[in-house]
This record gives sequence, C-alpha cells and structure tokens, in this order.
Amino acid sequence: MQADETLLRLEAVKKRFGGLVVLNNIDIAVGANELIGLIGPNGAGKSTLFNVITAIYAPTEGRVSFRGKDITGIAPHRISRLGIARTFQLVRTFLTMTAFENVMVGAVYGAGGRVKHATEAATAALELVGLSARRDMRTAHMTLSDRRMLEIARAIASDPALLLLDEPMAGLNPTEIQRMVDVIRRVRADRGISMLWVEHKVDAIMKVCSRVVVLDHGEKIADGTPRDVTQNRKVIEAYLGEPAA
Amino acid sequence: MSRASRWIAIVVVAVLALLPFLPGAVDAYYFSFLFFVSLYAVMAQSWNLVAGYGGQISLGSHAFFGLGAYTTAILWSGNHLWGSLYDSHPNIYYFDPVTMLLGGFVAALAAVLIGLPLLSKLHGDYFALGTLGFGEIVKVIFVNGGDFTGGAFGIVAPASSFDTLRPHYWVGLGLMVATALAIHALMRSRYGLALIAVRDDEMAASANGIDTLKVKVAAFAGSAFIAGVAGSLYTFYIFHVGPDSVFDLDWMLLPLMMTVVGGTGTLLGPILGALVMYAVFDLARIVVPDYHPVISGLTIILAMLFLPKGLMRVGKRLKTA
Repeated sequence: MQADETLLRLEAVKKRFGGLVVLNNIDIAVGANELIGLIGPNGAGKSTLFNVITAIYAPTEGRVSFRGKDITGIAPHRISRLGIARTFQLVRTFLTMTAFENVMVGAVYGAGGRVKHATEAATAALELVGLSARRDMRTAHMTLSDRRMLEIARAIASDPALLLLDEPMAGLNPTEIQRMVDVIRRVRADRGISMLWVEHKVDAIMKVCSRVVVLDHGEKIADGTPRDVTQNRKVIEAYLGEPAA
Repeated sequence: MSRASRWIAIVVVAVLALLPFLPGAVDAYYFSFLFFVSLYAVMAQSWNLVAGYGGQISLGSHAFFGLGAYTTAILWSGNHLWGSLYDSHPNIYYFDPVTMLLGGFVAALAAVLIGLPLLSKLHGDYFALGTLGFGEIVKVIFVNGGDFTGGAFGIVAPASSFDTLRPHYWVGLGLMVATALAIHALMRSRYGLALIAVRDDEMAASANGIDTLKVKVAAFAGSAFIAGVAGSLYTFYIFHVGPDSVFDLDWMLLPLMMTVVGGTGTLLGPILGALVMYAVFDLARIVVPDYHPVISGLTIILAMLFLPKGLMRVGKRLKTA
C-alpha cells in the first residue's frame, strides 16, 4: 500500500551504547494506515529502535520526526500526546487498577486532549479488544494474554495516529495468537491506525503485514513486501547463516 | 465508600466534635490523647499521600513539619521584625488560619524546590535517602539561623495565649477530617488516576502521556503542605519551637509506622494506624516507662509479621479466605 502522507520518519538514526553500535544509519518512513512488520534476529536493535522513537533513549545521531515535526529527544509523555502510542515487550499494565482504569489513563492523559469523552473512548477500546467482560477486574488478576490486549486497548483509547507494538504475541498460545491477529487487523480496519510491529513470530508478520522491515546487527537489511523480503539473500543469511560453500 | 460506612463516619465525627462539651472532658487524659491521635493521623495522611498512593518513599516528613512549625513561630513571635504589633496584640497569630496556611505553603514550596532535583534524578531507596539528607540539612540551617530562627534554642511563642485545649482538639479533628476528604476526592479525580499510574509503572505512565515528574513533585508538595499545617498546629500547642523538638525524626518515623500498620495506600489506614499505634506508645509510656520503646518496637515487628498489609486489609483477607 502506498502511503499518501508520511507519519513517522527516521533519518540516519544511530544509537551507540559505549563502544557498541546498536543502531546504525537507520532510515524508515511510516505512512498513514500502514501496517509494517519489523523483524530481525535477537539483538538486531528492534527494541532499541522503539525506545529511540518513544524517546526513552535519545539517538546518538540522526533525527526522528512525526508529521513533519522534529521529535528527537522530547519527553516521552509528549510523544504520547502527539499521537504515538506503544505497548511493551514485557507487558506493562497498572497492576493495582482495574482494566477500565488502565484504559482511562490512555484516554485522559495519553490523548493529550484529543479525546473529548474519555469514558466512552475507554469503553469502546475495551470492546474492540474483547475485554468488556473484564472491565472491573483488577489487572493483577488477569492472564498475560488479557494484559497484552489491555495494553493495546489503553493505547488505542488515546486515539493515536501510530501504534508501536513490541512483540505483542510473546508468551501467547496459538489460540491467543489468532485472537491477537484479529485484534491487530481490527485496529487497522476500524480505526485506521498505522502500526509498526516488532515480532519474533515471523509467519504472523508475513501473513498480516503489507510491508516488512528487517534489521540485523543494527542495520536495515531489507524493506519491502513480505514476498520480496523472504527472497532477500541478506535476510536468509541473517536468519540461517551463510550457505556452505 | 458505602452508604452505611459514610453514615458511621459522620456520626463518629459528630460525636468527637461534641465531646469537648461533655463536663470534665477537656481535663480528662483521653482529651489530649485524642488531640495527639488527630495530629499524628494528619501526619500519617501526609506520608500516605506521597508514599502510599504515590509510591515515592519520603523520609523527610519531619522537615516539612518543622518548616510549618517554624513559619508559624517566626510569624507569630518575630518581634524583631514586626515588634509593635506583637507587643500590643500577643494573641494575634494564635490559631490564625492564614498563619497556618502559610506554614503549609512554605513547606510545600520547599518540597517543590527539593523535589524537582531529587525526583528527576533519584528513584526508590535513593530518593528516600535524599529526603532524609534534606531533613538533616534543614535542621542544621535552622540551628545556624541566628536571631531569625533562634539558633539551637529556637523560638518561644507567647504561651499566655493558652486558655484551653479545646481549639487544638477541634482544629486537629477538623484537619484530620479535611485531609481524609481531600485525599478521597483527589483519588477519585483524574489526578488520582495519574498518581496510581506513576506508582504502578512509571515507564508505562510516561508512555501514556503522564508527566511523571510533575505528578511526583505535586504529590510531594501536597504531602509537605499537610505536614506543614500540622506543624503549625503543634506550635500553638507547644509554644517553644526548637530544632530538636520539631525536626525530631519521630515526626517522620511514627507517622510512617502508623500508616504501614494501618494500611498503606488506603484512606482510613493512616487514621486507624495513628489511633492504634499512639495508644500502644502511650500505654507503654505509662505502664513501663523504662521499656516503652521496646514495647513499641515489638508491636511494630509483630504487626509487620502478622499484618504485612495493614489493619485495613485484614477484613478484606477474611472475606476472600
């Protein structure tokens, strides 16, 4: 799908921890209503990339812009208010709150004033991920799968333009993975939210995404349709190693 | 809060408010006991706001209590600054609400000034140690404050103002009720939501649009304000504000223990804890004066062992068991 408007743009982003270069010269552009899979072997720099976009880390070099506005290194809460929501690889919900209260945080604070009717937005978000029945359950008592769904509900309650999903399927069983795929498709179809989706379950990415970006050792080695990417020599080498001579 | 418990609370407060009219009540032991319970309950609420709801363990409550006490004493008795007024009207600042609020504001201002650097850089135990250090610094500043703070001796306010303990009792009760109601309202508002979010997961809170530093500093300042007003009330009781009395670590440690015993992060836990623990402390002081810290310490250890989540959560546990 060709984007008519660029939401997020990373230009020559580099992140170094001491002598270790974790991200090197990364350029990525995310358009409106795009669903982009971000894959790569362990240590490729996927989570670091998310943390650079959401300003948990400042990039060593390069620029991150959102809707044409430079957002490099601004405070994380301002990133959320601008319209970039995220979930975490190690799920982070507010454990002493109910499911509804969790989602209210997104609707009240994450939205930065975009959401006029927070209660309605929170209720709709819970319904979209299928958690309406657990609305008043304390999060500490919820299953991992439900908490991952809750993180997505909290994110979409803030009415974001872009959602960053950090391994939403980690630790889920096949039934739950299918539920997650359905939810991700619904978020895009119903809300038109663009998504950048980091995942280890490559088959899920290939099935759902229209575009796939591959990182390896901090470098972007491929960017294209699932078909192009699976036939890319560098990608095959990154995952399987170099062919025996 | 259910309808029934709301009515119980209203009746209890009404009975307590009318108690001073009972013949002989004002001279009875339990009257000053209840005054101190209310004072400690306010201090416990102050600590509970920042630590119980906000998750930021502060060990500096005594500094804010002392700042409130000193602000009141300096305003009231600063005869070198505005002597004529004080000489002609020694009672003018006695239970003056503006003086009490100023005590709270000075403490809150100090909390903002120290909270911004501490809370932006330090987390958890390190923040706790930072606030403890702040308490010591404030104490040293007041010892070395010269005429303005009265040095190591402190400031004496005109004790001739004292007539009866009634106003102390009523103001203490009023503050106890007011802080509980204010915190109840706060925790039902969107600010309460942000406070709990920051306590539960700071990274998720900031990723969801919450300015975590602002929330933490605000809770710290609110807590300091309550402690400052309590310190101001104590000045009207003690009349001699000195560094060793109002900056005593007990003003931090006892409310902390009371809150933990009563139930951290609950609305009535600090009040219940203040009542129970002050009764234990006072009883030990009367029955075994030589050993009372031992008895008090043992009570706390036993409470931690058998009621790790506080008295307020005992009922809940019995219900679910």
